[in-house]
Amino acid sequence: MSGIWVVLEEREGRIGRISLEAVAAAQLLGAQTGQPVNAAVLGAQTGALAAEAAALPLARVVRIEHGLLGAYTADGFVLALQQLIAMESPTHLVFPHTYQVRDYAPALAARLGQVLIGDVTAIGEGPVFTRQLMQGRLAGAYRHAGGGPCFVSVQAGAFRADGLGAGSAEVSLFTPAIEATQIRTRPGERFRASAQTVDLGSAPMIVSVGRGIKDAANLPMAQELATALGAELAASRPICDAGWLPMERQVGSSGQTVSPKLYVAIGISGAIQHLVGIKGSQCIVAINKDPDAPIFEAADYGIVGDLFEVVPALTEAVKAGKG
Amino acid sequence: MFAFHLQLAEPPAFSLLEKVLVAALTLTSGSLFWRRFRVVLGKILQSKKDPGFSIFPLGRRVADFLWEVVFQVKVIRQRPLPGLAHAAVFWGFCAFALVTLNHFAVGMGFGFLSPEGWFGQFYFDVAAAFALACALGILALFVRRFLVRPGWLGKKLSYESGFIAFLIFVLMATYLAGFFVAEAGAGARALWWAHTLALLTFLPIIPHTKHLHLVLSPATVFLSRGGFSAIPPLAGDEDFGLVSGQDLTRLVTLQAYSCVECGRCTEHCPAANTGKLLNPKEVILNLRSYLNEFGPASEKPLVESLAAPEVPFQCTTCGACEYQCPVGIEHLPILVGLRRGAVNTGEWDDEYGSKLFLGLERGSNPLGIPAAERDKFIQKAGLPFFDGTQEYCLWLGCMGAYDPKGREIVTDLARVLDHLGVTYGVLRKEKCTGDAARRLGNDLVFQQLAEANLEAMAQSEVKKVLSICPHCVRTMRQDWKEFGAPPEAEHHSEFLARVADRLPKQPKEETIVYHDPCYLGRYRDVYEEPRTVVRAAGQLVEAPRSHERSFCCGAGGGLAFLGEETGERVSKVRTAELVATGAATIGTACPFCNSMFRDALAEQGEGAPQLLDIAQLTARALPQSPAS
Amino acid sequence: MKIIVAIKQVPERDAQIRVDAAAHWIDEVGLQWALNESDAYALEEALQLKEKHGGEVIVLTAGPERVGPTIREALAKGADRAIHVDCGDLGARDALGVARLLAAAARPEAADLLLTGLQSDDLGQGQTGVIVAELLGLPHATLILHVEKTDNGLSVKRELEEGWFQQIELPTPAVLTVQSGGSKLRYATLMGIKRAKMKEVRTVTAAELGVDAAPVAVLERVALPQKQKSTQILPGSPKEAAAALVEKLKFEARVL
Repeated sequence: MSGIWVVLEEREGRIGRISLEAVAAAQLLGAQTGQPVNAAVLGAQTGALAAEAAALPLARVVRIEHGLLGAYTADGFVLALQQLIAMESPTHLVFPHTYQVRDYAPALAARLGQVLIGDVTAIGEGPVFTRQLMQGRLAGAYRHAGGGPCFVSVQAGAFRADGLGAGSAEVSLFTPAIEATQIRTRPGERFRASAQTVDLGSAPMIVSVGRGIKDAANLPMAQELATALGAELAASRPICDAGWLPMERQVGSSGQTVSPKLYVAIGISGAIQHLVGIKGSQCIVAINKDPDAPIFEAADYGIVGDLFEVVPALTEAVKAGKG
Repeated sequence: MFAFHLQLAEPPAFSLLEKVLVAALTLTSGSLFWRRFRVVLGKILQSKKDPGFSIFPLGRRVADFLWEVVFQVKVIRQRPLPGLAHAAVFWGFCAFALVTLNHFAVGMGFGFLSPEGWFGQFYFDVAAAFALACALGILALFVRRFLVRPGWLGKKLSYESGFIAFLIFVLMATYLAGFFVAEAGAGARALWWAHTLALLTFLPIIPHTKHLHLVLSPATVFLSRGGFSAIPPLAGDEDFGLVSGQDLTRLVTLQAYSCVECGRCTEHCPAANTGKLLNPKEVILNLRSYLNEFGPASEKPLVESLAAPEVPFQCTTCGACEYQCPVGIEHLPILVGLRRGAVNTGEWDDEYGSKLFLGLERGSNPLGIPAAERDKFIQKAGLPFFDGTQEYCLWLGCMGAYDPKGREIVTDLARVLDHLGVTYGVLRKEKCTGDAARRLGNDLVFQQLAEANLEAMAQSEVKKVLSICPHCVRTMRQDWKEFGAPPEAEHHSEFLARVADRLPKQPKEETIVYHDPCYLGRYRDVYEEPRTVVRAAGQLVEAPRSHERSFCCGAGGGLAFLGEETGERVSKVRTAELVATGAATIGTACPFCNSMFRDALAEQGEGAPQLLDIAQLTARALPQSPAS
Repeated sequence: MKIIVAIKQVPERDAQIRVDAAAHWIDEVGLQWALNESDAYALEEALQLKEKHGGEVIVLTAGPERVGPTIREALAKGADRAIHVDCGDLGARDALGVARLLAAAARPEAADLLLTGLQSDDLGQGQTGVIVAELLGLPHATLILHVEKTDNGLSVKRELEEGWFQQIELPTPAVLTVQSGGSKLRYATLMGIKRAKMKEVRTVTAAELGVDAAPVAVLERVALPQKQKSTQILPGSPKEAAAALVEKLKFEARVL
């Protein structure tokens, strides 16, 4: 057994950021075990992705190409990677913990009598893998036992990819043997929910305004931040009562209950009726000029200040961070 | 001939033919009465027995009967002028019982009260005074019903009521006229017959109309479950609340037939007054129609006949209806019973309600905020944990633990306790008392919560509970009793009133309008204690509707958790009323009321009164703690 | 349709977590338990399929005796019968070990569909359903929000990242892992609980199923995270605070 293999995932035609972070995690493992770090890209055509991967600090890059890998299926990916593993006998396989990996990696591991140690946030000496339990309220340390390759997937943002150096990996092509009959599922095209109605309940990002916004004329300022974040605009009850935004955009006990990844509360003091609606949010940011506003109790991050200065600055920072 | 005599004229002896006619007419009238009344009686007796009902202790029943029936106290106190008119009619009828008996005896030739004997003369004269009052009373009621026409009596004019009023008036007039005619003349005979015919016409009408209350309501008042919003236990494996006619108990049926259609319930109902579909009077009348049409053995779902499915869920359980009802109808067990029927069978489909129940099933609080936030608050506020050695277990409840305003109330109450040296502690973990589940009719979740809480409190050796929330206190004291012996629970108004004279004095200039929370006032009769606390902090102002007539804030009955209401917001109406008193401060004693008003005051903009709980009103007089 | 729903009993959402003496797992004394959330959605999806197409819903769970109330809750919500794999050492098994138990218990039922939640609220591995599919040799799909029966099998709506979805067709029998939030859950009712008393719960042991416990991924120790979540106030000028916030959102909260 030799080599650590990272399975890279494409995102918008490039290697996704979380895949780069998986490379960073693999290098930590490599430093511990003295194993070289390699990567695989899968698809019907992998040239561009492989070229991008070749510039990463990797020993080898394998292009796993097959017409049946064009559209992702668990069956196709398991078959292809099973053959790579048979060929390379890796010590570790490192995956980005994406929805796609969660769909096939457990099956791949099980096929080899292994178990994926998923959603890892840190790798310690041993190696010992840390992952969150009890929805983040407990941390668990895992170790891989027995023979066979160790399967690991890493959480987005847990490892920093910005320190990855450059390299020039050797690129090779591998064509796995896959029959069309072995693919049992038929995936359709990706689609987004129809945008006719606002569905705050499933919005991943929400920018919400409260009475601190003072006037309906100031709403475009909040909308700009929302646009920069790719967020929906919402409001607390007084804003919707005043008719500045439609009722369907009201967050709180008498409006929508939301559970976005990010909830930005602008000029919202944080009455219980509002807090009830946002408790499911993964991360809450509060911007308010009153440092004693109850919203800060519920927030993860707070900026105490004049929202008319902070919000435009934040919009700029978000745009800069994305570019 | 028509001079006034102090003696009542008696008609001359009747012929045999007349006697036969009297007997025949009386028999006909009586049997017409009975033909309808036995049907009603049958429906009552066919209904299911009331689970957990006991006639004992009798003392409470006798007292209620004297107070509400004999002395007509509720009738008069809640609507003084029509109440007095009604009392005059009622007392007139009572005084008339003996007169009427003698009246028929005279017709059959063996009258036992002689207008010439001292007792007869005295009694007839007294009855005449009552008759006069009664005649004036019924005249006044007639004028009110047909000329003044208050809205809650219903839009439709009831001609039968007019006819009944006419008959009563005739009864009184023909009696009184007997003092003006000569003894034993044709005039007396004519009056006698007019009186008799009016009476015999009246009798069969009674069981066909709302005048059935004459016969039933004394029994309804006497037999009532007692207590306020006494929600009966479910009996057996097939009882899920009021689903169909088979679930109607004798008390419910009796109450439905007792309704006098006065509309006090609807007049005071916050839902009916803010444009919702719920109309408590209609619910009771529809229940009566259901009983008439399908009967108590029917399997037909009640909700189809009574109201749209959402109607029972518009009730804030403020209990104004039940409090107001002069004939002993207990609306809350009926409305909650309908909710139970819908929730316990899974028929009720409401997004907010389902979320609330699912959260409570998973051990969450009704607000659904993670318990870690409660821990953070306890730590930050430096509240000690209850370890069995302290006097009070300070119960936070969901609002005290998670609502920013509720937390301020708790912290201020804790400061008062600290100042007095009273020991207290909070539980490490609290489960919801189950108030919302109880009022919304989810017996499964309520039972789970009540049992878990009773066990936890017993384990922690909690003896006395102090809480800022009237809902928690009521649920612990009353509703938990179905599943065990609850600890002694007290609302902070009761505690604060007791220690008021041990706290620093405050200047009395500030005007404070106090809002009676339903679950403290009507539910528990605690009116004076919070006022004592308010008076210690300023000048008490009474709202137009206060004490037992207080108007709900809109949060009760689980409605705080059910999303936006239809029609006008109850909180808005009440807040406007409180603001209109011009008081500088609104004083509350319930964290739910407080949060409802806070929201509604937001629309008032600058110059809105401040909003403070009685604990905050008390704590502001304390010296600042060294830490702050 | 014959549908098996694999469910798990997990500590209540608001349970206070203490680490046990050996730091191997949490102290279960005094804990209160509930049905895992995404399993509740799997059950709901199964019940809706049954209501539409008829058939049978069987709940399957592994765990010690304490899972009884959770089984009854599932029966109360409308499942027809239950299989309880009685095993006290669930914690010592890894995802593969647990999936072997469930697969062994499910195999003889030859169901058309096996549903389970996306992941458990306690261990959060999100693998059990996928591994069961692998062990049973069945096709699978994960993160499913909605299931529709078609002439040839199933058409399911799968959640992708960043607000995208995808429709997938697959033949039956199949295994699906259900994402929370796809449908409206029903609450448990008194009537349901009373009816559930009469439904069948069959108990099998791990030994009877012939599945041993040796794990490949070993949870060696657990610890409470060092710091409780508390609010970070970002100081500085609006511009500095905004820049610091974006940095935190990217690398600390990882939401950007």
